[in-house]
Amino acid sequence: MATSSRPLTSSAPSIPIDKIVQWGIFILTILLVIFPSWPIFYQSVMDAPLYEQTRQFTLDNFSRVLSDSEFWGVLGTTVVYALFTTIISLATGAALALLIIRTDMPARGYFSLLINIPFYVSPLILAFGWSVIFGPQGFFTILIRNIGLPTWDLYTLGGLIAVTAMYYMPYTYLYCTASLSLSDSQLEDAARIAGANPLSVLFNVTVPLMRPAITYSALLTLVSSIEILSIPLVLGTPANLNVLATYLYKIGIVGVKTDYGSIAVVSIFIVLLVTALVALQNILMSQEKRFVTVSGKATRPRQLLLGVWKWPIFTVAATAVFIIIVLPLFGILLQAITPFVSPFINPLTILTTENFDIIFRTEPYRLSVINSVMIAVVGGAVGVVFMAVVAVVAYRSSLPTRGALRYVALYPRAFPGLIVGIGFLWAFLLVPGFGSIRNTLFALTLAFIMRHLPLGFSSISPSVLRISEELDRAARVAGANWLGVIRHILIPILRPALLSAYIILAITFLKEYSVALFLFAPGSQVIGTTMIELWRQGSSGPIAALATIQMVIIFALIAISRWVLGVKLNEVE
Amino acid sequence: MKSNELVIENISKHFGGVAAVNNVTLRVEPGQFTSLLGPSGCGKTTTLNCIAGLEMPTDGVIRIGDFVLNDVRRGVMLPPEQRELGMVFQSYALWPHMTVYDNLNFGLGLRKIKGEAAKKRITETLELVGLGGFEKRYPFQLSGGQQQRVALARAVCAEPRLLLLDEPLSNLDAKVREHARLWLREVQKRVGITTVYVTHDQAEALAMSDMIAVMSNGSLLQYASPTDVYERPINRFVADFIGATAFLEGTITAVNGDQAKVLLKGGQTITAQTNTRWRDEKEVAIAIRSERVQVVTDSSKTDNVIAARITSSTYLGSKWQHIVETDAGSLKVESLDAANDSILKLYLPPSAIILIPNS
Repeated sequence: MATSSRPLTSSAPSIPIDKIVQWGIFILTILLVIFPSWPIFYQSVMDAPLYEQTRQFTLDNFSRVLSDSEFWGVLGTTVVYALFTTIISLATGAALALLIIRTDMPARGYFSLLINIPFYVSPLILAFGWSVIFGPQGFFTILIRNIGLPTWDLYTLGGLIAVTAMYYMPYTYLYCTASLSLSDSQLEDAARIAGANPLSVLFNVTVPLMRPAITYSALLTLVSSIEILSIPLVLGTPANLNVLATYLYKIGIVGVKTDYGSIAVVSIFIVLLVTALVALQNILMSQEKRFVTVSGKATRPRQLLLGVWKWPIFTVAATAVFIIIVLPLFGILLQAITPFVSPFINPLTILTTENFDIIFRTEPYRLSVINSVMIAVVGGAVGVVFMAVVAVVAYRSSLPTRGALRYVALYPRAFPGLIVGIGFLWAFLLVPGFGSIRNTLFALTLAFIMRHLPLGFSSISPSVLRISEELDRAARVAGANWLGVIRHILIPILRPALLSAYIILAITFLKEYSVALFLFAPGSQVIGTTMIELWRQGSSGPIAALATIQMVIIFALIAISRWVLGVKLNEVE
Repeated sequence: MKSNELVIENISKHFGGVAAVNNVTLRVEPGQFTSLLGPSGCGKTTTLNCIAGLEMPTDGVIRIGDFVLNDVRRGVMLPPEQRELGMVFQSYALWPHMTVYDNLNFGLGLRKIKGEAAKKRITETLELVGLGGFEKRYPFQLSGGQQQRVALARAVCAEPRLLLLDEPLSNLDAKVREHARLWLREVQKRVGITTVYVTHDQAEALAMSDMIAVMSNGSLLQYASPTDVYERPINRFVADFIGATAFLEGTITAVNGDQAKVLLKGGQTITAQTNTRWRDEKEVAIAIRSERVQVVTDSSKTDNVIAARITSSTYLGSKWQHIVETDAGSLKVESLDAANDSILKLYLPPSAIILIPNS
């Protein structure tokens, strides 16, 4: 038989370019995740700053932080803050989802639109908005005080919790809405036939079926409220109220003599806390599979009729949404176009462009707007391409470590922005060759991409998984190699998903401030860092102008994506 | 079109410690249509994927003529794109973002067939599958049957060395499927391409194939023509899978040419046709094809007639189906009329009886 004499001729050893690309992406992703993490762990066991020549191993940093009563006080505040924030945002988010998806409350479409606004607005802006309207000298506070009614103090733990809960409420709303519109209405019909009245169906069938969504949102909110800096910074600092994030900011940036060891230890503490919560989230979600009732066919759920309660409930919900979302944003706009906000002066008589003039006249402020747009548009594009390739390698390659790549890509989830910033800053200082890019937009972009890798990865990978693998196989048999499959089959089919991920990433990069706080330098400031700088100077007018500019850019992006590119943004963080 | 023999020698595919394909050897003659038949999980799809290069066998040789695709011990593992094959997938796998024309053109371009030559080839192939003029349509604008035709056109367009088909008819509804079966075989014959077809439907395999390879648990049980597989199944599994509905127990008492006398459990002796050389006193399983069993009402026939008692009857429209109990075991039989007595006489024609060695 001729076969045995010539088997090797049919396969000339070709350069395995696909293997090189796959391993390259894997190693690049690992480096990107490790790059900002190792200095923090290293610094935590060193007795002197990493840039000093003489330093020694020590555990003093840990004992110093752990014996500091202020640290424990801050930790206690953080726990109370995160727990109550979570409870309140879950209750309001789930209730609004039920009202909007499952009842005949009027104007449900408008509610849905308004509730989603906080997704697109930086929490920094919302915090400023609340202080303009509900702060001690706020528009609404003065109004109420003048009528002679008792007022409130926003700069308290309760105030912090209220604002943060309202900022994160849309997460719960989003996940509960998705769960409610997917669940099979036959389950509810079955309960009615079995003799349950509509209200009993609601509490015995509908609400329990929302459990996976609620569990998921609960842990997401818990993690997010441990990480968030802006709201506690703006509303807590005046009352000297600290949570872990602001404590870290205080000892890292505001402090007189920077204690690197303590910064590292507190950072590690936060990372471990968040890692534990994210792990818990994964465990709980895998146990909640039994609640998944997606039947594949879209059944239109029956509506619960509110009857006489229809208008009272509508009034309560409308007032709440108005106070929570509309009023603060309105306050920001008002602040931006007037010298001061007061209920006793008609704003139309004192209109001014002064605040905007300050932003556009002052070079560093103007530069921060340009920088933010650059990072969003260019950095977002680079980021989405990288994240798409990571998703494709993680789910559509023969790489033996592709399972590990999925974990690596999601791991930055455990790193709050502030800590990512610290890590990158130290790494740039320490790794030879990186010192020169430390103060550039490139440095910020790299850090932003690392921080939001989980967001991009998890918004692209479901679309990758939705493409039948037979399409890849058909292309391979037709003669395309792995890279050819990606170029000609996967990327064209993924295009809508990639566009939507790009817009989401661009908006996220525009809103991002915490990563930049430690990392930015004169010349590489972004909108968020400038807002915090202005806030430290007490210039509320220009802050409002800058906030308005950011919102206008974001809403322009959304408008362009929806009407020009036809992108539907349904997966926001 | 050139056609080649496909040779598979001792291929195995292990996933961890589990053998999905276990030492399979078979040869497909040039231009032949061979079916890999078996229940799900039998290894037929894994075998097909090994031929396609979508999975790599852990041992063995696969070659088309002199063109070696896999020779595991010599380290030859050609990636799928270098094998020059055509394949039709279960879901058709038409690329949704490409027109019918582009779906065909993609593979041609990769095989360096371009310009007018490509255009001519595509037009001809679409004519062949009866879809001339559909070049500009997108897959979602086609019916299931049309998509299946495009998938076939795409697979044969670049004149591949082999045509591989992975249950391409399973997504069609019953009526279209029967038509598609004839049509597919017709196109394959006209192109004259060596073809490997994977299916779990025995009727499909019998109707279309030159040769059938029956597989179970990763092993090849029988590789033979459709008539041989049907008339002379090699063991109980093959007989069962290919359409026998009942098995009785018995012992061969005498063999005379192609006639064997079999003593059934219960004491009755019947005659069976067989071309296997049996020894006397051999215990055998007796597979019965229920569609050939006749219910007799008169007493003219006495040979090969056994008594049975009806335990349940089902009305199927054109006929009745009865589950009956005999001394040798239970059977399923059919009759045109409702039975008015619960005791029946059954005539087992020698051709309805298949003797299988009891393992």
